[in-house]
Amino acid sequence: MTAIERRIGLLFVLFIALLAVGGIRAAYFGAVRGPTLRRVAASQQVSVVSVPAPRGTITDRNGVQLAVSEPADSLVADPYLIKDPVNTGRLIAPLVGKPADQLVNELARAHTGFVYIARQLPDDRARRVQGLGIAGLSLIPEMRRTYPQDWLASQLLGTVGTDGSGLSGLEWSQDGSLRGHAGVRRVVKDALGQAISVQDLHPTRPGHSLQLTIDANIESKTEQVLQQIGATYRPKRASAIVMNPHSGEILALANWPLVNANDIGGAPPAARQNGAAVDSYEPGSTFKSFTVAGALEDRVVTPQTSFDLAPSIQVADRVIHDAENRPAVTLSTARILAQSSNVGAITIGLREGASPFSSWVRRFGFGSSTGSDVPGEAAGIVPKLAQYSGSSMGNLPIGQGLAVTPLQMITAYAAIADGGLLRAAHVVAAVNGHRVAARPGRRVISPATAASLRSMLQGVLAPGGTASQVSVPGYQLAGKTGTANVAINGGYSQSLYVSSFVGMAPAIDPRLLALVVVDEPQGSIYGGTVAAPAFGQIAAFALPYLRIAPS
Amino acid sequence: MSANLIQRSLEDATRPSVRLTLRFDWSLLAAVGGLVTCSLVVIDGATQNAVAGSPHYYTVRQAGACAVGAVLMILVSRIDYSRLREWKYGIYALMLGPIVLVLALGGLTRGSKRWISFPFFQYQPSEIGKLLLVLSISAFVVDRSRRLRERETTTRTMLLALVPAMLVFLQPDLGSGLVYLGIALMVLFVAGTSYRHFLGLFALAGVALALVLAVAPAVGVSVIKPYQLARLTAFLHPSQNPASQGYQQAQSEIAIGAGQRTGRGQTNDTQTRLNFLPDNHTDFVFAVVGERFGFVGASLVLSLFALLIWRGLRILTLAKNLYGTLVAGGIVAMLLFQVIVNAGMTVGVMPITGVPLPLMSYGPSSVLTTFLAAGILQSIYVQGREAAANKGRISVLG
Repeated sequence: MTAIERRIGLLFVLFIALLAVGGIRAAYFGAVRGPTLRRVAASQQVSVVSVPAPRGTITDRNGVQLAVSEPADSLVADPYLIKDPVNTGRLIAPLVGKPADQLVNELARAHTGFVYIARQLPDDRARRVQGLGIAGLSLIPEMRRTYPQDWLASQLLGTVGTDGSGLSGLEWSQDGSLRGHAGVRRVVKDALGQAISVQDLHPTRPGHSLQLTIDANIESKTEQVLQQIGATYRPKRASAIVMNPHSGEILALANWPLVNANDIGGAPPAARQNGAAVDSYEPGSTFKSFTVAGALEDRVVTPQTSFDLAPSIQVADRVIHDAENRPAVTLSTARILAQSSNVGAITIGLREGASPFSSWVRRFGFGSSTGSDVPGEAAGIVPKLAQYSGSSMGNLPIGQGLAVTPLQMITAYAAIADGGLLRAAHVVAAVNGHRVAARPGRRVISPATAASLRSMLQGVLAPGGTASQVSVPGYQLAGKTGTANVAINGGYSQSLYVSSFVGMAPAIDPRLLALVVVDEPQGSIYGGTVAAPAFGQIAAFALPYLRIAPS
Repeated sequence: MSANLIQRSLEDATRPSVRLTLRFDWSLLAAVGGLVTCSLVVIDGATQNAVAGSPHYYTVRQAGACAVGAVLMILVSRIDYSRLREWKYGIYALMLGPIVLVLALGGLTRGSKRWISFPFFQYQPSEIGKLLLVLSISAFVVDRSRRLRERETTTRTMLLALVPAMLVFLQPDLGSGLVYLGIALMVLFVAGTSYRHFLGLFALAGVALALVLAVAPAVGVSVIKPYQLARLTAFLHPSQNPASQGYQQAQSEIAIGAGQRTGRGQTNDTQTRLNFLPDNHTDFVFAVVGERFGFVGASLVLSLFALLIWRGLRILTLAKNLYGTLVAGGIVAMLLFQVIVNAGMTVGVMPITGVPLPLMSYGPSSVLTTFLAAGILQSIYVQGREAAANKGRISVLG
């Protein structure tokens, strides 16, 4: 064998060995790792994606849309697949509303496999991006919550996160109904991320719609009235609730400052809360009705019982005056309410006694949540009988030393308006077209006591009452003012007040009940001058609107 | 007895042209034909959706190149390759000129350019250049065949290959550049250059590599582009970054593995069909074979290449002169180097370079070059057989 033949032999062996390496590798992949790699191939081509269900629509009682869901796909990119980041960036910049430079930067980072270009694009723009047919860009189906009425009842409606789950308000508390079930979709994609075939494994089940008891027109009027109060008195905040006392249906629930539901971020955090259910306040004189109600029901007093009232009264270490200095007078129970005499109410409370008084406070629902379906309801703060100090009966009967929510207050007044039946308020009228069953009432006082309270409360708006300047022509009104000092550092501020008014009409058989609470108004402080006119405006609109016959 | 022999040799002498036209290395022809058939089937399947409205766009072009190539192969096999040796300077210039031209045009357009565009195909000078280098460098080595022991012969030969290799490397086409060097080494090896010279060359290459990879970046000179380095080293750690440089390698391995033993067939080859496999009709055609026809298909293709290589080496030993031996050696090196690098790249044992799989990858330049190379191998075979027959006749007559 010559030298050259040896070399050729060597080469032949070497070449065949190298080919064999390739063959063995191919065999290794095909036989040993084959099943695994086949799964890998499938997994990168087939993806199972979730198709978000549209959230249920929220409407008012007449079908006015308050919250709706619309498709708003998110645009994502796989920069590795973007061939020309510069042109792509320029093309889509006007559609996603981002500067082209920033987009080009994001798209040019070839090593990031996934980047959000825009969250929740409006549908028409998403379609236009899709129409460009740029490889590496894809749309993730998402839904966006919008609020067609912008400002209307926004704190009650609440908010939805970008992931589609309710974060606050009814969106949160009714999330189970509204949310629906996301569908499951099998998508086969090519290497450029374009869908080749789409198959629905589980259909999308849309969320249930929600019909509220809210009436958009009354709500709007109420908010308008609060807006005026806000402009006139510049309070810290204000809330109003309008209710049908017979059914417990909330017709309006408004919180000032008003918040644009489509721009929650633009509102201060405190304003985003549904204060009417969440915030507690010391009610002051509006609470006197319940002091009187208990005493009437227990027959400790009658509306005509007269009291000789000194200018002030001392309870333990506390001396309490009436709001305005006056000489000693003799007042009936009815006049005590009409003129909102502190001395008188405390006198009645003392005559009733701490223990019965305390149980009446509880029976009217104060100190615990009312059980309504208004989201995030607070319990308020009411001292237990065991916690009473010597001076407690010097301030509790006039609505000091305890805190209630506006919702608790109007619910308790609804019992007076509805013949003595206490019933949890509700705001959800129907879910997915099925009416929510009416809640049974619980009797707290007799119809007679309720009726006599209503007639006494008419005196508040009559001449000599604390809200005598408020009237709605043609209707007999009843109500109660409240002006409470704001508690600060264990004492009471002499300059900060909560002004409130709760009113009903017609007084004989109330169809409309409304509460206005104004926290820290400036300029004027009295419930009769700040809150009562607001009630007057709401009632003047709502009574004819609801076709409630004049008295 | 002698009258009979004379009679036979007279008959022989009257029919040389007939025997010459029918003489082929049929095994080599079968290997070429088999690979071309595989190529057309695979490319047709892989590129059905590549050009909208024209499902056979690439198949038709590849088939056209094969037809032209086959005609060229037969023509070339009928001429005496030995005459090419006299034109070595012309051939060398013919190789170098277009490569320089492409580089100059690429410089003007500020990008990577490997082609000169013609109406029907893009001419890639680095492909035909491989064959031209074989022909010219073999001639140079033959000229110095009596001085093979001298280091100068080895040095000069390597420099002759290094010039086009560096130019191709700058295109940038690292893989083809390496093919040029492989050809030179093979020609020297077959010619009988001392093993010591090879050791020296490898030592030198090691030092040069160290300079390029370690020293040059340290002093701030970028000889090799970062993406080239990343591509070359990605096969060492494929899972590190599957979304980028290792992506092609990973997709290729998935394709071959998903094919399992007998393949996924024409409709289920999702790696190819959904374009997960990059450049599936060119650089990664072997992975397409693996996915569609499984290990069976891959083995068939590798076997055809083994047949090709075996016939190449056989023809090398049959050559009538040293020039034929060296040319055959160079052609075998050219083909085998490409097969090993390309198939190795698709199965993850070689770095990713743009080296085509001869006769399988789509590309008219590569196909024509390979057919011409096969034609020259046939010519060496025919001439070798003819010379052997003549020698026998002369001995009989003498």
